[in-house]
Amino acid sequence: MIHDIAVLGGGPAGMAAATEAAHGGARVVLLEESPAPGGQVYRAAPPGFHAKPDPDRRAGDALRAALTKTGAELRTGCRVWGLGGGPLVPEGQAHAPFSLSALGADGVPFTLQARALILCCGTHERIIPFPGWTLPGVIGLAAATILLKAQGILPGRRVVVAGAGPLLYAVAAKILAGGGSVAAVVDAATQGEWLRALPALAARPDLLTQGIAWRAKLLASRVPVLAGAQVTAAEGDKVLTHVRVGDRIFAADALCVGHGLVPATEASRTYRARHAHRPEDGGWVPVLDAAQRTSVPFLYAAGDGTGVRGAAAAPAAGRLAARTALQDLGFNTANAPEEDAALARARRTGAAMARMMALRPAMIQAIPAETIICRCEGVTRAAIEDAAAAGAGTINQLKHFTRCGMGPCQGRMCGEAAGALLSSARGVSVADVGFTTGRIPLRPVPMEAILGDFDYADIPVPAPAPI
Amino acid sequence: MSLRIPQIACPAPVTITVEGQPVAAHPGESLAAALIAAGLWRFGEGEDPARPRTAFCMMGVCQQCLLRLDGRLVQACLTPVAAGQEVTCA
Amino acid sequence: MMSRFDVAVIGAGVMGCATALFLARGGMRVVLLDRGEICREASGVNAGTLTMQMTRAALIPYALRAHEMWMAMPKWCAGGDVLATSCPGLSVAFTDAEAAMLEERARIRRAAGAPIELIDGSAAQAIEPGLADGVKLAGHCPIDGFASAYLTGRAFRAALQEAGVTLMEATPVRGINGRFVLDTEAGPVAAQRVVLAGGVWLQDMAAWLGVTLPIKVLINQLVVTERMPPVMRTVLGVASGLLSLKQYANGTVLIGGGWQGIGDRTRGGVAVRPENFLGNVRLAAHTVPALRQARVVRSWLGLEAETADALPAIGPIPGIDDAWIIGSVHSGYTSGPYMGRILAQAILGEAPELPLFPIDRLLHQGSNSA
Repeated sequence: MIHDIAVLGGGPAGMAAATEAAHGGARVVLLEESPAPGGQVYRAAPPGFHAKPDPDRRAGDALRAALTKTGAELRTGCRVWGLGGGPLVPEGQAHAPFSLSALGADGVPFTLQARALILCCGTHERIIPFPGWTLPGVIGLAAATILLKAQGILPGRRVVVAGAGPLLYAVAAKILAGGGSVAAVVDAATQGEWLRALPALAARPDLLTQGIAWRAKLLASRVPVLAGAQVTAAEGDKVLTHVRVGDRIFAADALCVGHGLVPATEASRTYRARHAHRPEDGGWVPVLDAAQRTSVPFLYAAGDGTGVRGAAAAPAAGRLAARTALQDLGFNTANAPEEDAALARARRTGAAMARMMALRPAMIQAIPAETIICRCEGVTRAAIEDAAAAGAGTINQLKHFTRCGMGPCQGRMCGEAAGALLSSARGVSVADVGFTTGRIPLRPVPMEAILGDFDYADIPVPAPAPI
Repeated sequence: MSLRIPQIACPAPVTITVEGQPVAAHPGESLAAALIAAGLWRFGEGEDPARPRTAFCMMGVCQQCLLRLDGRLVQACLTPVAAGQEVTCA
Repeated sequence: MMSRFDVAVIGAGVMGCATALFLARGGMRVVLLDRGEICREASGVNAGTLTMQMTRAALIPYALRAHEMWMAMPKWCAGGDVLATSCPGLSVAFTDAEAAMLEERARIRRAAGAPIELIDGSAAQAIEPGLADGVKLAGHCPIDGFASAYLTGRAFRAALQEAGVTLMEATPVRGINGRFVLDTEAGPVAAQRVVLAGGVWLQDMAAWLGVTLPIKVLINQLVVTERMPPVMRTVLGVASGLLSLKQYANGTVLIGGGWQGIGDRTRGGVAVRPENFLGNVRLAAHTVPALRQARVVRSWLGLEAETADALPAIGPIPGIDDAWIIGSVHSGYTSGPYMGRILAQAILGEAPELPLFPIDRLLHQGSNSA
């Protein structure tokens, strides 16, 4: 039993890709880590949780409904850890079907195969470290939206919201709407940057209106908005109690902070697809052709994981990837490009927001020497710069010299900041310091869960080396 | 003041225990959310007081929210609450 | 063209670094080149096992001396440290067939100088409380241990610079003209002598000199867990040699043993095979049951070189004066620094402390132009 198309990741791009592929007659499977498809923006509420529907929830519900109707196989709540097949074959052998090893929602391990694979792995949050960012009470901006929207929980009673991009104002407004108070909004962007982004924002009048409403709400609640500013320290004994922004100190029991979104490329790196470093897209992204093909045959990618453009632009990219895959697999499909002016506008706005959320070199330079960069391993900026001076010239060698990125998150949280620090210490570009080699498992996996039942005699022990 | 947003309806609370203490939580919400709502931001001491365990990314990436649930290691942000769960530090 | 070096060492792994270091300390002007960064291939990614129980019998005398070198590394390497830790080693047998294999292998290794004694399962558990029940026989060697291999490059780098070695990283050598002008991407590099120390790429390097030296490539898989409370305190293996297991001071457990992944000389390490990953961790969890509580965080690949007879290639290159080779040492990390030391002795005109492994035996008569 082999699937025609597997889709990894059930956000807007993945849901649309799986739907389109199923419509095209392919045998499709969608694999998603969360209990329900949706992704971060269109995340489904847990069963039994009901909020007043908002535009995001409606958009997500529509994509979920369309997907469910196709009868495509959905594997939600499953953790994909092993990637094999495709180009990962011995020298001289033909390209193999893609092979995905996973833990099911029921905890039972399984492996499935697919002739084509569409990666819709989305993004994770970028955090530019500052003193105290590891204190409990400091949480990501995207994390805060999950708390607020999917779980109905305020991150705190009095919250500082900081970082870059439109999520800042969305989170601040939602905290106010939920009955919390916002001590301050600390925006890395200047008012000039926002003004320059206005024409692109105007392409999405719905978002612009929403943005203006958010701002009005902050104004009405007399929330200080500090433009062109950044958090200099999060302070507290066991948990956060104060947030320092230059000379100003705000009492707060939560700090929601995020400096943009970083495409999740561990799967495309494991499959050895070609990648390029494009700061305006969020960092390292797989190189795609105009039809969403990666450099690896039968491997496609779509959505924010290929460059941040936002949830509204993702479904069209997912559908295009699916049509291309169907075509490459020999399915008879009409591949008419989507004539969608709304999509073009969504992309334009998304690109402007992505630029707003791109890594800010000045913030990297402002990190004090003793600040922890790699949270898993406790590696500071000073340690990274020592390693650079001691000869580490690539991110892979930095790992060896310092353990930066060797911990359980495998550099997902620190990779961007570490890469920027290393590149500036070495006087080379971020592209030149490279990215960490992609290897399984895609996420940490409990050994107990993947072991399954086995007899010692059944372990296929290879022939021993000569004595 | 509760951190739970009143406009959002959710299933009736159940009780879980966190380090032996009873905590009210709603079935289906993530363990991480339940702990934050209960004011328990610090999930464990970890190996370094400067980097204690806590929720940060809420989407399964950062690996900081590791807990033991009924003896097994789980990521609190990806694990739904169910009645009677016993949660301890990792 | 830059001035002529006394010796150019090509390949900055543990063999190349040690050779270069001892040559420089012997008074030579040394350049050490690598196409990538120092110790980023097998020398930086291997399991760091410093054991006698996976070492080939013929290499035991070398490995014993190298073990001493690793444990004292900061003393001879200008403070460079790979956190080498000495502890007992156990090689265990769960089946009668493994017990027979263990008995034979322990006997041969003991004859070669490794102080291995055979003990029963309960005696093994007394030494290693983390060990599973059901062990029929175990080889116990008090001389064992492990290092953090990823620190090897950093540990050598400062010492090399202090010794005056010119280190040229990210400088691929494309060929060798005459005697000896290295054709590199950074321009020609001239040297009186040349040492080939290129691991699995020795075959290509030998070809630059017109020498045909077949080298087999092993693609060894490794797996590491998240930090966890102490579950073991020895280096553990199984009789077949296909498991190596140790827990580092930071709590991570490294699982190795030479399960094969996908890769080759051209592409390097391509992919970990999920099915071999699973076989390897099953063997580990069978041996130390507490590992079931661990989370697996990462796997990777290291490329190991092997000659036709699986014994090292260390010595002069026949027919070409002043050209030398070092590599293809089984469990090469364990013996590496000592191998570099004795090759340096030979190049410096001294008698090596222990015999080299000349490659004449590996070259077909007449097939080499040299």
